[in-house]
Amino acid sequence: MWKLIIFLTATIIAAIIFFVPPVQGLGELAKIIFFHVPAAWVSVVGFFVSAFYAAKFLRTGEMKFDELSARAARLGFIFVILATVSGAIFSKLTWGAYWNWDPRQTTIFVLILIYGAYLTLRAAVPNEKARAKVSAVYSLLSVLTVPFLVFILPRMYFSLHPEPVLNSAGRLEMDAEFLAVLLAAVLDATLIFWRLMKEKT
Amino acid sequence: MKLSNFLQAAAIFHKDFLVGLRRRAAFAAMAMFSLTAIASMSLSVGGILIEPKLLAALLWVVIFFAAGAGISGTFEDEAAAGTLATLKLYAAPQAVLFGKMAFTLASLLALTIFLLPVFLILFDAAVAQIFLLLATILLGLTGIAAAGTLTAALTVSASTKGGLFPILLFPVTLPIFLPAISLTEAALTGAEFAPEFLLAMIFYDAILTVASSILYDFLD
Repeated sequence: MWKLIIFLTATIIAAIIFFVPPVQGLGELAKIIFFHVPAAWVSVVGFFVSAFYAAKFLRTGEMKFDELSARAARLGFIFVILATVSGAIFSKLTWGAYWNWDPRQTTIFVLILIYGAYLTLRAAVPNEKARAKVSAVYSLLSVLTVPFLVFILPRMYFSLHPEPVLNSAGRLEMDAEFLAVLLAAVLDATLIFWRLMKEKT
Repeated sequence: MKLSNFLQAAAIFHKDFLVGLRRRAAFAAMAMFSLTAIASMSLSVGGILIEPKLLAALLWVVIFFAAGAGISGTFEDEAAAGTLATLKLYAAPQAVLFGKMAFTLASLLALTIFLLPVFLILFDAAVAQIFLLLATILLGLTGIAAAGTLTAALTVSASTKGGLFPILLFPVTLPIFLPAISLTEAALTGAEFAPEFLLAMIFYDAILTVASSILYDFLD
């Protein structure tokens, strides 16, 4: 598995450096988008995976699901930090400021807060059984913010953020090769997340 | 004799109310916290007229952290007194949750009755739409009470408590926080407001109440 991931990552990096043309008007640094989008994608995936295992733990009471839920949150926390930093750099490049509380920036910041609160809660509860229960409940409680972040928040503030690659209108506003590399990078990041989830401790 | 869940919840509300009256610590902490926060801000800006948007945000920040000072001990105090286990033995879990939630809402309402006039006087703010302000506060407090009661139950088993409660509560209550600030601003200025924000708050209050009720069962 690691061999495949290393091969894929190397290919994608090579493609980004040599194959993808520089973004018009933004230059080479704008290629950080190939890092930002996959990282943001995995941080959202990690959030739902963590909640999924939290629900599984509450139903079955098996500690292995608690362990998986915690691991997804820890990985998600790393990825959400990476996504935020790379997003801020891209934002500086395209909008002229690192941060301006665009709805997407708000969303990812809330995600940092949720991951951080979840991990703080885990660190604060010494008893293993109690910790598993309490953090699973919090994980599921925090999922409730998703409809707000997805449906209500974007109506409250004007956004400059580009539409997601797979947007509701079903349009693709990218070069085919650009898109192919981006999708490969998203797949690669997902594979890294998946592999790290299965890592033996 | 077995009481219905509603009567059990009412009995817990009544008990908490009496204990609250007798001990006063939680309420005094909340009231003094809000007073200190308002005074520190009002003092430091010293009579400068503050924009309504900022005022609205300040009001909710004070309410949020004052709530954190007061209601984080909802279950904690019982656990410290050694009565939580007995309470859980005698009453149905849902009755405990809703009794506590009702008492939390009542203490938050009492806090706001104290805090709001002080806030408006010290910042010399006029209210253009009083009913909008009251509706917003009521809806906001309901959401904080619903999420806050469950969060208070979560932190009982934590060993490090300092600051944990607001950290956990903030992301969860953000969906009521942001529309509340926006509506409060409209209530202060008299500008037109978006009715869908009120709907969004009602929607989230309902969601948080139902979710707290479902999730609380797993904590026993």
